[in-house]
Amino acid sequence: MTMAALDANTPVMEHEDTRDSRRLGLWLTFPAQILVLFIAVFPILMQVYISLTDWSPLDGIGWWQAHELWNSFANYSDLMADDRFWSALWRTVLVMAICVPCEFLLGLGLAILFVDDFPGRRFLYSVLLIPMMVVPAVAGYMFFMLFQSGGPVNDILSFFYGAPVTIAWLSDPDLAFFAVIVSDIWQWTPLMFLILLAGMVGVPEDQLRAATLLGASWATRFRTIVLPRMKTIIIIALAIRVIENFKVFDNFYIMTGGGPGVATETISIYIYKVTQQELIWGYVAAVALVILIALSVVSALAIKRMSREVSQ
Amino acid sequence: MNRSLSFEIFRYAAILAIVALSLVPTLWMASMAFKPIAEWSATGADLTWWPKSPTLDNFRFLFGESSSDLIVALDRTATQPILASLLAAIFGTLIAMIAGTSAAYGLSRFGSGGNLPLALIQLRIFPPMAVMIPVMIMWAFLGLIDTWYGLALVYGIVTMPFAFWLMKTFFDDMPREIEDAALVEGCSRLRVFWKITLPMMRPALASSALFVFILNWSDYLIGLLLTTRDWVTIPVYMASLSSSMTGQLYGAKAALGLIAAIPPVVLGIAIQKHLVRGLTFGALKQ
Repeated sequence: MTMAALDANTPVMEHEDTRDSRRLGLWLTFPAQILVLFIAVFPILMQVYISLTDWSPLDGIGWWQAHELWNSFANYSDLMADDRFWSALWRTVLVMAICVPCEFLLGLGLAILFVDDFPGRRFLYSVLLIPMMVVPAVAGYMFFMLFQSGGPVNDILSFFYGAPVTIAWLSDPDLAFFAVIVSDIWQWTPLMFLILLAGMVGVPEDQLRAATLLGASWATRFRTIVLPRMKTIIIIALAIRVIENFKVFDNFYIMTGGGPGVATETISIYIYKVTQQELIWGYVAAVALVILIALSVVSALAIKRMSREVSQ
Repeated sequence: MNRSLSFEIFRYAAILAIVALSLVPTLWMASMAFKPIAEWSATGADLTWWPKSPTLDNFRFLFGESSSDLIVALDRTATQPILASLLAAIFGTLIAMIAGTSAAYGLSRFGSGGNLPLALIQLRIFPPMAVMIPVMIMWAFLGLIDTWYGLALVYGIVTMPFAFWLMKTFFDDMPREIEDAALVEGCSRLRVFWKITLPMMRPALASSALFVFILNWSDYLIGLLLTTRDWVTIPVYMASLSSSMTGQLYGAKAALGLIAAIPPVVLGIAIQKHLVRGLTFGALKQ
């Protein structure tokens, strides 16, 4: 394995760095730059503008006239006092703090089981990847069906309990929270497994054999040889899941719509619902902007830190 | 590594148990898709795990055939949503691949692009929900709401980072000697890219495109925000498969879910060699 992404800024090719090839390079990156400008730079400027007003699409005035509804930072002070926002943010972090470690440990365990060859390994490996490939929204529908009070989960529980179990999973705040977390872990453990296994397979066989000959136990070999070599991969796998998990929307929204009450409302669901129900887009723009700024700061720090860790 | 037989048996049993468990939700949906109404609407003790009398009724219902058992008929069949998902995902992939591949080549060979690579990582970190409000306003302004091309444009931009990073690692891996030889022969840089590099990269382009297609196909939120009626995508349309008279049409939902789930599962397994590279933004190659 090689680290390509994080040292992307180092110039790759110095020879025949003529004006011609530099111009071609500019042209080649031009479409991508335009697209980024179109979706990132311009919309964010627009978002800053709208976030300072009370504008809503129902006001009957175009967004460019939003300055008529200027409210000088009132949205931002409202935000500080918005309990629903803070609880959604806290819930998003909580979901992450539960899901990511579970997915990591399960994925690591699976990777350990799969690291040596056995008959049927390739086939079972492909089968294990299926949950990750299922469209997340469809996964949401699957788990919505599974967790119905007359559904299969309760059917299995009834079998073990010996009497009919009719738990209303998705209408109880705690159980609904548990259910959405289960769906997330089901879907994304294979991703951890896939990445961690790729890293584990890269550990040189001869080092392991030498350690075995020296009498190192399996646990020692794993701790002293395999894990240190997997450090980069573990960091990358965790980073990917933390990033993706923070955005979580599809399966949660389909399973519970953020409910019951706000029991499963993550930050994306919160923003979506405010956009749809309250229609004060000036306020939503302010919320989204705060999230974007916070994420930019955190991610810039994390990328810097990660490149340092990884290059060690 | 030699381990005891009992350990091997334990390992095998554990693997099989986990694989079986991970398949349950998918198999449940597949089973629901082929159940007649009496079975998919059963609850509690009447629940059947496997369709007793398998039928294609749910699929027929989706495409407009009225079912004798079901009083409701769909006011819109699933054909248009499937078409919407396909068009948006395919053209989105095209946009992402064209912009991403050329930028990746520019960066890989000429070091151009400035802060584009980091901007693309940042773009990936932002939750789409937080970027979408101004996009919704812009799209309404440009008349792109509820069109497949408006959706395709957003898909293209959102998945371009993946196309870019994937293709960059493929270009970095490619031996330079062939390109250099052609340059010495007097070919222009652009000609070398077009006539030599791209044809050589065909397998890489194909797997990157499939990967990007899977991502586009898997979208829900962007379709939910940018389409309203005519061009709703499959997952958005799925929500309409319930009525006040019958409640949730689980059978039809499961059938459509199965249709939506098959392309990415098949394509994903086909390109599994490159999945790690794609998912880690090209940071890891298998």
